[in-house]
Amino acid sequence: MFQNFRLSMAWLHTWFGLALGFVLMVVFFFGALSVFDREIDRWAIPSSRVEPQPMPSFDRVLRPVFEAMQPNRKSVDAMRSEVNGPMPERFDTPRRWGAYTTHRDPVLGLFAGFEVPNAKDPETAIWASRTIDPRTGASLPEDRLKIGSQFFYPLHYSLTFTWKDLGYWIVGLAALVMLAALVSGVVMHRKIFRELFTFRPGKSRQRSLLDLHNLTGVVALPFHFFFAFTGLVIFASIYFPVTHTQLEPLHELHEKLDSEETGLPHERAGIAAPIASVDAMVAEAQRRWAARGMAGEVGFLAVQFPKDANGYVSVYRAGTDRIALTGEGIHFKASTGELLREEPPSSAVDSLNEFLTGLHLQHFRHWLLRWLYVLGGLAGCACIATGFLFFVEKRKKQHARAGSQGSRIVDALGVTTVTGMMIAALGILIANRLLPDVLPAGWPERGDLERYAFWGTWVLAMAHAFWRSAPVAQGQVNPAWHEQCRGIVVLAVTAVLLNWLTTGDHLVKTLAEPYWPVAGVDLFLLASAGIAALAARKIRRKAKETAHARPGKPTEAAHA
Amino acid sequence: MPDALMLAAALLAAGTGMGWLALAMDVHWEQACGDAPHSPARAQGLRIAGALSLGVSLGLCLAVDHPSMAALVWVMILAAATLVVAFTLTWRPRWLAVLAWGADGKP
Repeated sequence: MFQNFRLSMAWLHTWFGLALGFVLMVVFFFGALSVFDREIDRWAIPSSRVEPQPMPSFDRVLRPVFEAMQPNRKSVDAMRSEVNGPMPERFDTPRRWGAYTTHRDPVLGLFAGFEVPNAKDPETAIWASRTIDPRTGASLPEDRLKIGSQFFYPLHYSLTFTWKDLGYWIVGLAALVMLAALVSGVVMHRKIFRELFTFRPGKSRQRSLLDLHNLTGVVALPFHFFFAFTGLVIFASIYFPVTHTQLEPLHELHEKLDSEETGLPHERAGIAAPIASVDAMVAEAQRRWAARGMAGEVGFLAVQFPKDANGYVSVYRAGTDRIALTGEGIHFKASTGELLREEPPSSAVDSLNEFLTGLHLQHFRHWLLRWLYVLGGLAGCACIATGFLFFVEKRKKQHARAGSQGSRIVDALGVTTVTGMMIAALGILIANRLLPDVLPAGWPERGDLERYAFWGTWVLAMAHAFWRSAPVAQGQVNPAWHEQCRGIVVLAVTAVLLNWLTTGDHLVKTLAEPYWPVAGVDLFLLASAGIAALAARKIRRKAKETAHARPGKPTEAAHA
Repeated sequence: MPDALMLAAALLAAGTGMGWLALAMDVHWEQACGDAPHSPARAQGLRIAGALSLGVSLGLCLAVDHPSMAALVWVMILAAATLVVAFTLTWRPRWLAVLAWGADGKP
């Protein structure tokens, strides 16, 4: 089919890259933002702008909250079809309580799962969640969307398409294609070391785009490769759900054997029992970690089968000082505080898995590495974006002569996924600051409105990109590129100003305190505005040059 | 705070190392130093100095963090250093001449 291996690789790289590059752009951009998801949450929820807090006392703070928790109306309604007969008014049998925090969280996320009476599948649980201020135990309003950890982050791995897990599958396919694109890209690139430091913006547009594509792809090649790969590892159980399909009976058996081996009960005893002091168990767990030379804070605290004779408490360590995502879990009998099990060090395979997972999920405390991850993610975005631009640049003159609309459509989609996506991200931040604290009765939930603002802005940006795309069919530059860059400038500055006006936390104040989460988001927004302004000017100037240049000028870049 | 200083030094060492590796190439030597003569012996010297400097950068990373974390930090620092050197060569190539010892004819 192809004359040689390199040409076949070029075909693969071009067309697979084009088809899934749009998804990869979203994955990389929102992945880069998710590195600072907790900080974006602080920006979006002003009442939570305080310093990170350690796990509070279970006995005094958490227990009363857990005991009061009930699933909300929405999840009860969603569960109706899975139950024979009516749903109960209250759920009285908790199956699991959990509290999760990191070294960057000033607020604490709690969840509680309950048994569902008369459920068609007895394993069914109904979940309730709540966010509290760990200093007082007071609940935060439920309608506040944590834009970083509850929107940008899920967007990164599932596009928030939850229907039949479609989003996970699309992102997984894109990650697989990413790996193929990296390998084929390396094969196509003939001067990987000789041109490692090369970017020549003065040369033809095609040549300079290809330089930038190669540069951003090659310098962060290990990052790109490992993140695409570890992303697939993390969701391997979704892509290969063998334990719940072909191997379901084996899975059940395994759970039973596992519980025999670990001594942790597999199910409720059905006999009521009190809960002893969990604070004492936490103190004991911390003493045991310290004895192993790894003193640390609690990251995750769970009670399985609360108030049952088989109940047990699990205490996991927050992994701030290493890459590997391990918990060094220690389990106690809930009714007596007796030690049930101290998890042994991981096997080699588990250690590798924990390292790969931890590398991607970054629970560690290392600000430089976090920023370097952002750099890697943005380099990935630049690589994909220049890939689109190169595709268009290489073909648009030819398409113009042939009267084809191909490059015009690709270019408009490129505008949508590059600048349009950033405009959408700014749209949700601005909506977050503009929506009133208390919404009028009958309005949708606040978090939903913020999501609509995101998707709505994106659709508008897309419409604008297509509406302005006609010049591409004549071999010219789409003016939407520089117009949307200007849009980014205006919106980013607006977001910073709105944060000041609605909360009083302007940069001078947040930098002086310093309160880095909010100062960081504001500075990042202003930096984006600056870069977008430069880009707008540059694109405009280049577009004018092209408009005056003779058509059919030969170009330098021949390969790829 | 010394950790932050060590990491800053690791960044600097990586940037310098990548700068030397770039200067070892004829095309980048010309960009930075113009007509100053470039000999194969000097190119070799620059390559060795570059590699050593990257090694120093790795050493500094290892001194700060657990090896598994240090390896990641180092790889990402190399990426950042390469970008800085590449963009310096694009917009301010003469700045790299700081790293080219003896390019002005002096020993």
